[in-house]
Amino acid sequence: MSDPTVGSIYDIGYQRYGGLRLGRRHAIWALYVHSLRGVFGIGRSLSSKVGPMGLAVIVLLPAIFQLGVAAIASQEIEVIRPEDYYQLIEVVLVAFCAVVAPELVGRDQRTHTLSLYFSRALRRQDYAFAKFAALATGMLAITIIPQAVMFVGNGLAVNDFGGYMQDRWTDLPSALGSAVLLSGLIAGIGLTIAAQTPRRAYSTVGILAAFVLTSAIGASVFEAAGRDTGRFVLLFSPFHVTRGLTFWFFDAALDPGTQLARADLPGIIYAIDATLIALFMLVLLLRRYQKISP
Amino acid sequence: MGVRRFGPNIRLSGTERISDLTLVRTAGLTKRYGKITALNALDLELQTGIIGLVGANGAGKSTLIKLLLGLLEPTSGLAEVMGFDVFRQGPELRQFVGYMPEHDCLPKDVSATEFVAHMAQISGLPRAAARDRTAETLRHVGLFEERYREMRGYSTGMKQRVKLAQALVHDPRLMLLDEPTNGLDPQGRDEMLRLIRRIGTEFGIAIILSSHLLSEIERVCDHLVEIEDGRLVRSEPMTVLIAPTGVLTIEVDGDGALLAARLREHGVAVRRSGRLLLVQKEGDTLLDVIRDSIVDLGLGLMRLEQGQRRLEELFQSQPTLGEEDCSRV
Repeated sequence: MSDPTVGSIYDIGYQRYGGLRLGRRHAIWALYVHSLRGVFGIGRSLSSKVGPMGLAVIVLLPAIFQLGVAAIASQEIEVIRPEDYYQLIEVVLVAFCAVVAPELVGRDQRTHTLSLYFSRALRRQDYAFAKFAALATGMLAITIIPQAVMFVGNGLAVNDFGGYMQDRWTDLPSALGSAVLLSGLIAGIGLTIAAQTPRRAYSTVGILAAFVLTSAIGASVFEAAGRDTGRFVLLFSPFHVTRGLTFWFFDAALDPGTQLARADLPGIIYAIDATLIALFMLVLLLRRYQKISP
Repeated sequence: MGVRRFGPNIRLSGTERISDLTLVRTAGLTKRYGKITALNALDLELQTGIIGLVGANGAGKSTLIKLLLGLLEPTSGLAEVMGFDVFRQGPELRQFVGYMPEHDCLPKDVSATEFVAHMAQISGLPRAAARDRTAETLRHVGLFEERYREMRGYSTGMKQRVKLAQALVHDPRLMLLDEPTNGLDPQGRDEMLRLIRRIGTEFGIAIILSSHLLSEIERVCDHLVEIEDGRLVRSEPMTVLIAPTGVLTIEVDGDGALLAARLREHGVAVRRSGRLLLVQKEGDTLLDVIRDSIVDLGLGLMRLEQGQRRLEELFQSQPTLGEEDCSRV
C-alpha cells in the first residue's frame, strides 16, 4: 500500500443513483441466472468448468452412439430406446449433481458470503429457491438435451422426418415430463444434502451415497422382504423411482423379471412419489436456510 | 405488508427523504441465544448522521447491526429503519442499506468487478446500472487495475475495500459497518476512516459504525451509542461528549516555574504537569494576563490551547473498555 495511486482516493465526486430499483423479484432472478451460469462453471475458472462440462458431454455419448448406428443403417433402428436412456445415464446425472451442488451452495457458506446475500433485497427462502431452481434447470438441460438430440437424429436418419414426427411425437412430452421430475428429484435431494455443510468433500460423498447406496439397499431389501412388503421400499430408492416414473411417462412395458416389473405398482405412483420427495426436500432446504446463521 | 407480495419498483430519490425520517427506532429489542442474552430490551432512537457503536467485544454491537439488517430475528421487540419494519419489510428496506460484515466474506475465485456488480444486482439494481456503478464505486474506494484479478491474491487492505465497495455500490441511504478497520495497518486504517467520513459527509449516506477503538469513533462519528452487556449505556451527540473542558494548556520555552509563580501573583490557579502548565479558564482577562506575563519574563510561547475531553477519559472509569485495544493508535 505504499503505492500512492492505490492509497489515495481520487476526487471524482460522488454520483447519487436515481435510477430504478427493481426489488426482490429482480434480485431472485439475478441470483438464479448467476447460479445457473455457475452450474456449468460459466464465468468461473477453467478448472470449475471441467467437471460439469465433462459430465454434460458424457450424458450425450449414448445418443451419439445411437445416431451413429442409425445413420450407418439409414433406417429406424433402436439400439437405445428413449425410455431406457435415463437409466443409462442416471449415475452420470447424479455425479453431475454431486459435483455441482456443493459448489452452488457450499461455497457461499465456506466464504461467508451468505451474510451479504441475506442483507440484500431478498429473503432467506428466496436464496434457497433460486439455488434450487438453478440446479434443477441445469439438471433438466443435461437430461433433456440427449433425448432431443436422439429424437431429431433418428428422425433425420429415416429420411422421412414428417412421418417420424407423426409416429413418435408422443415421445417428446414423455421425455420432457420424466426429465422434469427426474431433475427436480435429483436437484432436491442433492441440494438439500449439500446445504448441510460447507465442506465440499462431505456433500459430494453424501449425495453419491444418497442415490447409489440407497438404491442398492432398496434392491436388497426388496429381495429379502419379498414382493408384498418389499415393493413399497422401492418408493424410497431413487433409481427405482426414476425408472418407474420414466416407464410410466413413456407408457412402456417393463422388462419382466426386473424388480419394478415384479413389484407391479401402478406407474403413476412413482411419479407422485418423486413429486412428493422433491417437495419434501425443498421444504427441508428452505428450513435449513431459515435457520442457518450467515 | 404481505410476505408474499413482491416489492414495488421503488424510486426513492435524493437524500431528502432520509433526513425527514428517523434513521433507527427500536423498542424493547431483545435477542437471546439459549440462556445468553445478547441484547436486552433495547430502546433506541437515532437520527441520520455518522453514528458510532461502541462496547467491548461481546457487548452486543454485531448483534444489533444484524438485527437492524434483518439478518437475525429478534427474540422480542420491534425495529424500524428509515420507516421500514425490519422484519416484515426486509427486502424493501435492504435495497437502501449496505452492510460490511466484520468477518471475511469474499469468494476467492472471482474478480472484485464481477463480484461487486453481482451484489449490486442482488440489491435490486438493473444489470447495466450495476456495472456502471461498480466501476465508479471501486474507484471511490481506491481499487484500480487489480479489480479485474481474482480476489484470492488480495491483501487485507484490498479485501476491506471490496467489502466497503459492495456495501456502497447500490447507493444506499444507510451503511452498517461492523469493525471496518479490522486487520488494517495504521495507514490502511487511516485511509479507511477518511473514506468513511467522506461517505458520511460528502456522499450524504447515514452510517452506523461499530468499533472497539474509541479513537476511531471520536475521529469519524458525530453521535455515539454505547452498549454494555446487551444494554444501552448512552446515546449522545459527540459534541456533548467531548465538550471543551475549560482548561488551558500552556507550554513555554524556558522555565515554566517562573511563569507559574507570576500567574499565581495575578491570582490565577495553576497546576503543573511536567513541562506544561494547566490553567482553569475563567474571566475575560486571563489570556491577556498570560500573554503579558510571558512577555515580561522573556519566555517563548510554544503552545496555548484549550483542552478537549477525550472519549477515553469518559470511559476510563469503566474497566470493560479499558483493555489495551482502547489505546490510541
